This record gives sequence, structure tokens and C-alpha cells, in this order.
Amino acid sequence: MKTDALIDLLARDAGPAPRALAWRRLSPAAAAGLFVSAVAAIGWFGALPAQMFATAVPWMKMAYAGALAAAAGWLAARLSMPAAPVRSATRAVTVVVLAMAAIGLLSWFAAPAGERMAALLGHSWFSCPPSVLVLSLPALVGSLWAVRGMAPTRLRAAGFAAGLLAGAVGAFGYSLSCPEASAAFVAVWYSLGILLTGALGAALGPYVLRW
Amino acid sequence: MPVDDSPGDFESALKPLWLRAQSGDDVAYRQALGLLASRLRAYLKRRLSGLPDEVEDLVQETLLALHLQRGTYDPTLPVSAWAVAIARHKLVDLWRRRGRRDSLHDAIDDVDEQSLAAEPDDGGARRDLETLFDALPPAQRQAIELTKLEGLSVAEAAARTGASESAIKVQVHRGLKRLAALVRADARADTPGKKMSRMDTLDAGMSQPVHGRSK
Repeated sequence: MKTDALIDLLARDAGPAPRALAWRRLSPAAAAGLFVSAVAAIGWFGALPAQMFATAVPWMKMAYAGALAAAAGWLAARLSMPAAPVRSATRAVTVVVLAMAAIGLLSWFAAPAGERMAALLGHSWFSCPPSVLVLSLPALVGSLWAVRGMAPTRLRAAGFAAGLLAGAVGAFGYSLSCPEASAAFVAVWYSLGILLTGALGAALGPYVLRW
Repeated sequence: MPVDDSPGDFESALKPLWLRAQSGDDVAYRQALGLLASRLRAYLKRRLSGLPDEVEDLVQETLLALHLQRGTYDPTLPVSAWAVAIARHKLVDLWRRRGRRDSLHDAIDDVDEQSLAAEPDDGGARRDLETLFDALPPAQRQAIELTKLEGLSVAEAAARTGASESAIKVQVHRGLKRLAALVRADARADTPGKKMSRMDTLDAGMSQPVHGRSK
């Protein structure tokens, strides 16, 4: 087939280009991932007692996870669009993580010196990051699928962004059953779990995001 | 259509057409794809001087990708930057395939190919997309044939097949996506022996004077 014939074929009756493609692909993936991770978290670890929601702690975790999911989703969307600059989205991700780190530091210094380590480690520091990682896996499948259907040209970076998005979604689900009460705990161990998911996405990106 | 080759003028000619195409103007879309095809051909030719017979195939593969991914265009960016980023992605994909394959072949194969290399005419794709259409699922192939090749409107195609209009549109889109996947698979399968490519260049060399690679 001649190239001109191919152009005719593509243009004929082509109609308008799809709008808000990244949003339409990423948000259902994140929503489905959130649903699965929330159900799994509550099923495995049990739901947080209702009175916990009267304190600020679960809301802080959800706000962190939600803000990071939004920023990472934006980054994943930019990395799915060829030639699109990613600086603003990268900055948004960084700001969210640094804000949580700052809150964590404040809570560290606000605590009496003798209790700081206990607050930071809680009783589940060791299991928190892997739990976040596991709860993120459904969202990771979804976000990689969503990115793959667009046009990522930097596959490792796009995989990392998809992983951060999934990690934040998994952390949101985990926060529904995690009783830890320290902001320092969240800043370190939640972030580590999210970062692990990002690293997994970055490792998978070059293989699964090819198109 | 004569086009000034300087990047700024090219973009200022292309962008209004492209934006109209994005909002559903098929005539503008055809013109924009025509402009892009010539720009991509120049871009790929310069980077594939050792594999001139791959150029037009890659132009077509890139055009198909541009069409399927037109939803990923950000209107604040130059259209040519977006299109070249996609072409570059396809080029890297080709090099990766080549790099991996070429290391498996002896040097004679490469020398052979190089000495026979003739620049194909523009429009002279080696791979025939029409033969790949045959591998599409029947519903997708029929939807593409009716709307894209026979030129029926979506409504006419829907009436002819008994499917709904939206079903026809979905089949066309899926068919083109599938076609893009077939093109990639074909490029992979095609690469190791390079038999087709050598035969083609041999033919080209016999039927027309071999000219040097343009720079």
C-alpha cells in the first residue's frame, strides 16, 4: 500500500480525536485498584475501629495517599504523551512527598525524646512497606495497562510513575486498616512502600510498556 | 504542496490544520498527515541511511501510530515535536530489533545488503499493509473495508452489516490497533533473514537506476 493511500484510509471518516484520554484511562484503573486494595486490606487486616476516624490520623494518611495518587497520576499522564514536559508534574510529586516528610519531622521533634523511636517504628514498621506493596499490585496492573494504551516513550520513567500511582492507591487502601498513629511512621514507612511499588513499576516498564 | 522546510514555518502551516483535524475535520486531517509524512520521511531517511529500504515502512508504521495515539497530543505543544517523538520511539524499536538480530548474522550478510542498497521511491513501502488486513478478525476487516476502502459512511456501513454505528466505529478502531500490532509482529518476523528486503532492493536496482543516498 502506498503511503498516500494509507493517509486517505486513516483520515477518511476519522472524526474528532478522543479527549481527556489520560484521565479516561488512568482514573478507572486507579478506582478499580483502590476498590480491590480496600477490600483486601479490610479482609486481611480488619477495618480500623470507627472511633479512630474521629482522630486526625487516618485522614492524614488518606490525604497523603490521595494527594500523591493525584500527583503521580498527573506525572503518569504526562509521561504517556510524547514530547510533553513533565517538570510541573514531577514537582507536584516532590512537593507532596516533602510535605509529608516535613509533617513527619515535626511530629518527631514534637514527641518527647524517649518516645520518638517507638513512635517512628510503631509495632508494624517491618510489615507496613510490604503490605502497601502487595495491596498496590491490582492498581499497578491497572495503571500499567492504562499507560500502555497511550504512547509512553520513556518506558522506565512511565513505569515508575505508574508504580507511584499504584503505590499511593495501595497506601490509601492500607490506611483503612492500619492503626499506627504517628505522622513520622507514615512519612517513612508508607513512603517506602509506595517507593517500592514505584521501583517495581520502573523495573517492569521497559518490558510491559512497549508499543 | 510546496512547503518551506524551516521548522517554524512548517509548524505554523501544520498546527492549524492539525487542530482542525483533532476536532473532526477529515480534510484538514488528510492534509496534516500528508505534511507529517514528508517531514517524517526526511527525519527517518537521515537516520536510516544504512537501511534505506526500511524508511517507508517506518513512515507508515509511524503514521498508523500517530493516528491511533492522536488522543495523546497536548495542544500546547508543537505538533511536529509530538510526531517526531513518536517516530523516534518507532526508530529506537527498529534499532533494538536490528541490533539484536544483526549480532546473530555474519558480516557478509551486512556487506551484501549494503552493496545492494538502493534508495526506494517515496511511497515504495516494502511491507504491504493490504496483505496484513487479511489477518484481521472478519468483523474488524469488514468495518475497515466498508468505511475506509469502499468509502461508505458509518451509517451506510451499519445498515449494510446490521451492526450499530458505534459498533462499526469500535471495530474500525480495534482493527487499526490490531493492524499496528501486526505491523510490529511482521517487522520482527521479517528482520532475521532479510530475504524480502534483499529481493526488493535487487528488483529496484534492476528496474531503475541506482542513485546515491540523498543527504
